[in-house]
Amino acid sequence: MSDKVQLRINADDGQEKSITAARGETLLEAAHRSGVDITATCGMRGRCRSCRCKIIAGAVPPPTVADTVQLGHEEIRERFRLACQTRIVADTVIKPMPPKSESGHQLLGGQVETTSLDLVSGVEKIAITANTPVSEHHQTSDIEEVFMAIGDRLKSRLVSGALLQDLPAKLREQKGALTVTLFRGKIADIEVGDTTGKCYGMAIDIGTTSIVGSLLDLETGEELAAVGMLNPQAPFGADLMSRIAYAQFKPKNLAQLRGKVLSGLNDLVRQAADKADVSAAHVYKIVVVGNTCMHHILLGIDVSYLGLAPYAPTVRDAQTIAAADLPLKTAPRAHICTLPILAGFVGADALACVLATRIYDSDTVRGLVDIGTNGEMVLGSKDKLIACSAPAGPAFEGAQIRHGMRGAVGAIERVSISDDVACQTIGSDAAVGICGSGLIEACARMSDARVLNKMGSIKSTAELPEAVSARIRKGDHGQEFVLVWKTQGGKDEDISLTQGDVRQLQLAKAAIYSGVMMLMKAMDVSADDVDELLLCGGFGNYVDIESAVRIRLLPEMDPARITYAGNAALMGAQMATLSETEIDRAEKLVGTIEHVALAARTDFQELFIDGMNFGEPGLQVVSQHDEAVAV
Amino acid sequence: MSDPELQIPQGWEDRAVDGWEWATLWEAVEEGDHGYTHDRVQQAIDADIDPRVILDDGLFPGFNLQGDRFSAQIIFIPEMLITARAMKAGLALIRPLLAANDEKPLGTFVMGTVLGDMHDIGQSIVTIMLENAGFNVINLGTDVHPDRFIETAAEEKADMIGFSALLSTTVYYQKVTIDEFEKSGHRDKVHILIGGAPTTQEWADECGADGWGRDAMEAVKLARKLIAADRGAWA
Repeated sequence: MSDKVQLRINADDGQEKSITAARGETLLEAAHRSGVDITATCGMRGRCRSCRCKIIAGAVPPPTVADTVQLGHEEIRERFRLACQTRIVADTVIKPMPPKSESGHQLLGGQVETTSLDLVSGVEKIAITANTPVSEHHQTSDIEEVFMAIGDRLKSRLVSGALLQDLPAKLREQKGALTVTLFRGKIADIEVGDTTGKCYGMAIDIGTTSIVGSLLDLETGEELAAVGMLNPQAPFGADLMSRIAYAQFKPKNLAQLRGKVLSGLNDLVRQAADKADVSAAHVYKIVVVGNTCMHHILLGIDVSYLGLAPYAPTVRDAQTIAAADLPLKTAPRAHICTLPILAGFVGADALACVLATRIYDSDTVRGLVDIGTNGEMVLGSKDKLIACSAPAGPAFEGAQIRHGMRGAVGAIERVSISDDVACQTIGSDAAVGICGSGLIEACARMSDARVLNKMGSIKSTAELPEAVSARIRKGDHGQEFVLVWKTQGGKDEDISLTQGDVRQLQLAKAAIYSGVMMLMKAMDVSADDVDELLLCGGFGNYVDIESAVRIRLLPEMDPARITYAGNAALMGAQMATLSETEIDRAEKLVGTIEHVALAARTDFQELFIDGMNFGEPGLQVVSQHDEAVAV
Repeated sequence: MSDPELQIPQGWEDRAVDGWEWATLWEAVEEGDHGYTHDRVQQAIDADIDPRVILDDGLFPGFNLQGDRFSAQIIFIPEMLITARAMKAGLALIRPLLAANDEKPLGTFVMGTVLGDMHDIGQSIVTIMLENAGFNVINLGTDVHPDRFIETAAEEKADMIGFSALLSTTVYYQKVTIDEFEKSGHRDKVHILIGGAPTTQEWADECGADGWGRDAMEAVKLARKLIAADRGAWA
């Protein structure tokens, strides 16, 4: 018996890819090795259904325990398997069929207000006329003539070899009429003719889930294009930890993740330049922010120890890398600048949020919270800033939730319960699943309606309306609450919230809640003393604030004092792209922000356990702006 | 799946004293009322009920009910902890009496979270449950180096070792720790259990553990079962 078997994969577009696989490796390993992306949200642990495949032909392997748990007997019989669990035993044809719909993402922009910015980007374009060396007696060189013409603004005589190679022709083409681009006083580019005015930069936020970017005119501060994409590393795990685990002690896997993000960045820069109708060659400064893991992977730094206590980063200072060294081929003359990092799980994105929200300048105590798989939070004022991170896991992104999905068309995002349940979906399409913000709202309304008790148990009580009570049932996955009946939804089964889903949300929201509470405790302030709580990041901006307070995801404070800050990480990156002052500021700030390590605090456990509880059932959050309603 | 029910111990009336009633204690443990649990256990001791009987007939029913509900996700960590604390309040009174009666612990269990992992809650719940079940548990806390597990196991002549890992990046150290036990020559003298959110039965098999607990309740059941199994003796 040969060790090699043939695996054929039918893609959505009708294409078929044939690969040689080793007997015994999983379908997913074989697919990934040959460049077929099958998303494994849970990090190939058999804990979700994102890598579901159908066995079209060939031997149907016996189901594993994880197959049965995730897919159920029905789907097993219909030859569905999890690609991450199924080992190839013979020649097989498969078709990846992830449960719909895991695609699509929303772009969250936010134009920076530039009036208060010091518009000194560090990039200068200067039109010069350089002489051509004429006399053999007076020894000079092409580049020295260029230096001479630039004058004082040149701070370094270091020039990359690439710029020297074609300088002779450039210098002589238009009688020495050149445009020199300086980055921090050093020559970054030499072009023939006058291209001043074509001076662009990019701000990029690399999130675990998505990457967003903004192309900026460095002279005017204007945003020329906003672009975004799913993080191409997503198939290798939805959350940070599974991403780190994938690369841990496996340099090949690290290189693979790095390759994914680099090609993503190349695409993103090209996309932005095309959209704004400018040349990507005129992008000179790219500020990249992201969490510590994304930052390290981009720079190719081994992340093995980032996942192990004390979770120390390899470098914290801001870095500057020439495009050729990254490499970033689309913008060959650019320099890539990263903002400083505070700690292993409080990354450059958090620093960018601090810059954007200017809480370092606040007279009163304010806080900012980035609700995500790894929640990051900062609290303080001009006197003192403290920060921490809280691992919430991927529940907010709909992962490891029975009918969970990302915030795409067909996702339930609003829920109301009175005589019966009514759900509203993104795009008003037939419901196919529930996204993170919908999950929070569903639990808030279920608490109001007493379907959920304070401890988070789904319970039927006598006072429930009949139509609501009929939705509580025992399913294959324990107690559950049906949100959308099969007949009214866009899925071939009822869409329900299981008791296990509620438990996942409880753990996730307790992480965020206890993180914020811990910072308040460390700062010796109460929720009443916090003047404003800013929600940063993609997810935070879709959360219904009252629901978030209702289920104690956010501290019990007047919802009127909680505000959306847009994608603050991207805004901070934009500010740093436009202004070197902001990079300097970030460098100074990082030394003064105190990091609170939650896991190392003995009082954290109490806060965390308390944070798992929902608020009292039947009561609603009281806002000073709205009429208080007691149910 | 049906809701777990209170398992009333057969013939408890014969083991208690005339007119005695356990129902209030079952409920107190279930609801986590540690004040009442303490008082009622003291009353039982004062009434000369055998400490073993107080434990089996008085404390365990409510505790096991909550444990089964926890396994079925009907209740969650906070409620389980409250019940565990009430149980502990009762046990604190009984344990010295059991010892005086020459009742030995079920076995010695060394517990901790693996190197690189600072998570405490999971292993502390398992610790309480094991103690309640009658094990002598030595809890080494979090971020425990493999050598410390091995040294403690040898010093205490441990019967069982359990380590949890709560991060997908630290499960790796469960395998490392087991490998280190192999190298130390002590692997055959202990049963090793693993657990933690990212772990699975497959992983337990792969890293060479003797068992895997899906949750705290299952870990306790497994520990009770494994303790009877053969293994090498400490010198």
